[in-house]
Amino acid sequence: MKAEDLQQVRPAFHDPALGSQAVFRAALNALSHPGRLHDMPQVTDLPRHGHGAAAALLLAMVDSNCAVWLSPALANTDTAAWLRFHTGCPWAASANLARFLWVAKGDALPTLNTLAMGSDEYPDQSATVVIEVDALSDCAEQGAHAFNLRGPGIADMQSLWVLGLPQDFAEQWEANHRAFPRGVDVFLATTTQIAGLPRSTRIGATQEA
Amino acid sequence: MFHAFDNAGPNHTLQRPDWMALLARAPLALLEQGLDKQSATEPRWLRRPETGLYMVQARAGGTGERFNLGEMTVTRCALRMGDDGSGLVGVAYVMGRDHRQAQMAAMADALLQDPAQRDALDAKLLQPVREHLALLQMQRAARAEATKVDFFTVAREAGGADEEDDA
Repeated sequence: MKAEDLQQVRPAFHDPALGSQAVFRAALNALSHPGRLHDMPQVTDLPRHGHGAAAALLLAMVDSNCAVWLSPALANTDTAAWLRFHTGCPWAASANLARFLWVAKGDALPTLNTLAMGSDEYPDQSATVVIEVDALSDCAEQGAHAFNLRGPGIADMQSLWVLGLPQDFAEQWEANHRAFPRGVDVFLATTTQIAGLPRSTRIGATQEA
Repeated sequence: MFHAFDNAGPNHTLQRPDWMALLARAPLALLEQGLDKQSATEPRWLRRPETGLYMVQARAGGTGERFNLGEMTVTRCALRMGDDGSGLVGVAYVMGRDHRQAQMAAMADALLQDPAQRDALDAKLLQPVREHLALLQMQRAARAEATKVDFFTVAREAGGADEEDDA
């Protein structure tokens, strides 16, 4: 890291142990209850670029063994320096080599089935994608994707409205789900909230709300 | 220990690697004395002092195969001086487990990056450190000197018993 980058770096967790545990708990709950909205605890200073919930999530999850891929809007910003300084993560040369991906708002989402999906023997060696979205809601919202989610962790059906995902996300997700037990897991993140989409979740009938 | 690169020379401007190398070896007492009342300010932490191990590698004979010499304990920290979040960032890596020493070294690193304070700090903080390290090296050299053994070959006396055997 260069001295100029270091000069821009902001602090991270106010309390490293309790902060990362609180964020980990939020991530665990998000994957245990797919599609349910979870508030990200406000336990860390944030970089200038990128959504706060996504930043906190990656700060807690990533370490020096996780290759991270940042979408173009985040690469070479103070956010990249911040994440690298506090976690020691290496950068993945391309999206398909990464264990964690952070896709900024407005950047193209890499096609899900080109990412690391693990193998049948080791489905855990797959990528986790954190996608920044404009809004998440559990009630109908104008112009948002309406997702009806079913699968483990959902009693009957979970409704989720997402603003800011690519048009073909449901089809990509269908292909991702078909590869089970291989596949990627997704977190959708606004500035303050996250929702989890583990690979076991199915997206039902999609229509524009 | 004092090294050749610590001797700045008359025309050498002080660079960041120079003072970081000095601060890493400076004892706590000299750091606190040199920083004076600035040592009491509370910095904004980027990375609180943390102690860990570094594997030190060496090469046999200086040029041979690399091997692991052993682990050493290192304490590191990073901080920002000033309250407004725009101050200079200082970093320190020091040997041992002393968090306070790492903090003082990082604060000195941050202050030394400010050209307005550099010369004053150079005289007040770095010069005593240089002298301290030079003294350490001198003492060590003197200790080694006292045990020095000069080997020389004793010329055999002519007409000794050995030669008679050979004959």
